[in-house]
Amino acid sequence: MDRTAIMKKPLIYGGLAAALLAVPLLTNGYTQYVVNLVTVYVVLGVGLNILLGYAGQFAFANAAFMGIGAYITAILSSQLGLPFWVCIPAAGVVTALIGTACAVPAMRMASIYLALVTFAFAELMVWVFINWKGVTNGSNGIGVSAPDLFGYVFRGDQRLYYLLLPCCLTMLWLASRILKSYIGRSFVIIRESEIVARCNGIDVSRTKMIAFGLSAFFGGVGGALFAYTVGLVLPQSFGLFQLVIHIAIVVLGGMASLAGAIIGALLLTTLPEFLRDFQSLQEVMFGTALVIVAIFMPRGIAGALTRFGILPREMLVRGIVRERRPVATPGRDQDLEPIGVGVTHD
Amino acid sequence: MTDPVLNVSNLTVRFGGLVAVDSVSVALKAGKVHGLIGPNGAGKTTFFNAITGLVPQSDGRVQYLGKDITNLPAHRRADIGIRRSFQSVQLVQSLTVLENILIGLHSGSAGKGWRGIGALFGFEGPDRAEQEQVWDVAAFLGIEHTLFKSIAELTFAEQRFVEIARAIVSRPKVLMLDEPAAGLSEAEIEKLDRLLRRLALEWGMAILLVEHVLSLVLVVSDEITVLDNGRFVIHGLPDEVARDPRVKSAYLGEEVHA
Repeated sequence: MDRTAIMKKPLIYGGLAAALLAVPLLTNGYTQYVVNLVTVYVVLGVGLNILLGYAGQFAFANAAFMGIGAYITAILSSQLGLPFWVCIPAAGVVTALIGTACAVPAMRMASIYLALVTFAFAELMVWVFINWKGVTNGSNGIGVSAPDLFGYVFRGDQRLYYLLLPCCLTMLWLASRILKSYIGRSFVIIRESEIVARCNGIDVSRTKMIAFGLSAFFGGVGGALFAYTVGLVLPQSFGLFQLVIHIAIVVLGGMASLAGAIIGALLLTTLPEFLRDFQSLQEVMFGTALVIVAIFMPRGIAGALTRFGILPREMLVRGIVRERRPVATPGRDQDLEPIGVGVTHD
Repeated sequence: MTDPVLNVSNLTVRFGGLVAVDSVSVALKAGKVHGLIGPNGAGKTTFFNAITGLVPQSDGRVQYLGKDITNLPAHRRADIGIRRSFQSVQLVQSLTVLENILIGLHSGSAGKGWRGIGALFGFEGPDRAEQEQVWDVAAFLGIEHTLFKSIAELTFAEQRFVEIARAIVSRPKVLMLDEPAAGLSEAEIEKLDRLLRRLALEWGMAILLVEHVLSLVLVVSDEITVLDNGRFVIHGLPDEVARDPRVKSAYLGEEVHA
């Protein structure tokens, strides 16, 4: 990496962090609530993108994962009085375990059946949320008290933002670290061809379990953040419409792209608010956008921006080695004498 | 005679009532190229798939370095050093060449356990050593200039060699190539010829080569097995095989260019 790049990187990140921290200065209670939802939906979008975009699994349980995470948070915080730093990880871990179990049908089924089964699972979870009244309080839902840290209560949307933002950034960091490795590459190769994956030493069943578990972890944490943001966990929040939002975030934003999840979350959360006064227009625009993207931008907005060089390419490698190291290992030199087979200009 | 690296004995594959491969045996030796020829539908690819574990075998045994791997799943066979290429190029179009070749090193990365998971969050990045291996192989093949291109930007020949790079980057003991010369020009086939010899002689690989381009397979192979209709026809040195009347009539036609 050259010097200017080394100096530029912290500058960009520093500026971005400052801008993000300053957001509450520019918002009122309501716009801050929308911004908070964006941070929540970034996490949820990343979660579905891992499974749908990277690993290519047509699993539609993301809204259910979100619901499980939200209920775990509501129950642990309101009824047991546990702090957020227990509730959020617990929501993530428990949901990840449930998600991993969901990978079992994925190992035996073609995509369309997997879609049906996971969809049925999602509907079943909504039914559980409504009918398991002793735990979920049925249709009345559970109120979630504001989280606090050493006596500081994140009450109100502007304060809550300072809890949501670090959580969202941590989750993005986690996703990036995990995907930019052999794990991310194994997701992509099982999406493209399970046969090629197996012939390269990749255990397809295991990889699917990791993808489902990881995706559900993000869904669960997203659900936990959602619970704190809205303050009231209701079963209807986690139905079909929720799922459609998640899918739209991934498809519009960009399959197999972290930037895509961010762009998608921004769009899908803020645009409906701008169009609040024109309900019918909202649906028309939503449908039009989906059709346009499906036809002209198969990799979503992030994919198009990458193609035009506006966004950098997201490679599934970290610490990229840009040139060959000086060959010094004895005994390996002669058998690596270039053969030049790839040069095709003769 | 050295012991074979991969010993396939009486391998049979049945699909319902159809016998695709009927009791075929092959022994691959380190440093040798073993050609496998036969007309279309002779069962070469099925034989290939059974050895790599993609198609369940109905009968017979596969031994690797003296160990029975008959019941080992495909990914475990790849883990222990049996790699292959595909008849049609099977690369991930949306990834760069570097990422595609790195996929060939999955076993090494995944096998590092907790230390490997720790490396995901370390400062350096988890793929340092792996990338150096990719650079070495890319330099060896002369495709370094393509490493940061996406697959769609490559010529067909370059894609073929990227696939071979993915198959050899982990330095497997057994390399199985399914029609690597298909679609290549004369000059490119000549380079493939040199590459196969060097992989065998210098890297010590045992190579199984399915190929229709006889000018390649008859020249580069140390020994050749001929299949027809799923059955073993003949096994021998390239000259012997080329002279055999059954091979001439069943496969080569009247003229033979050796």
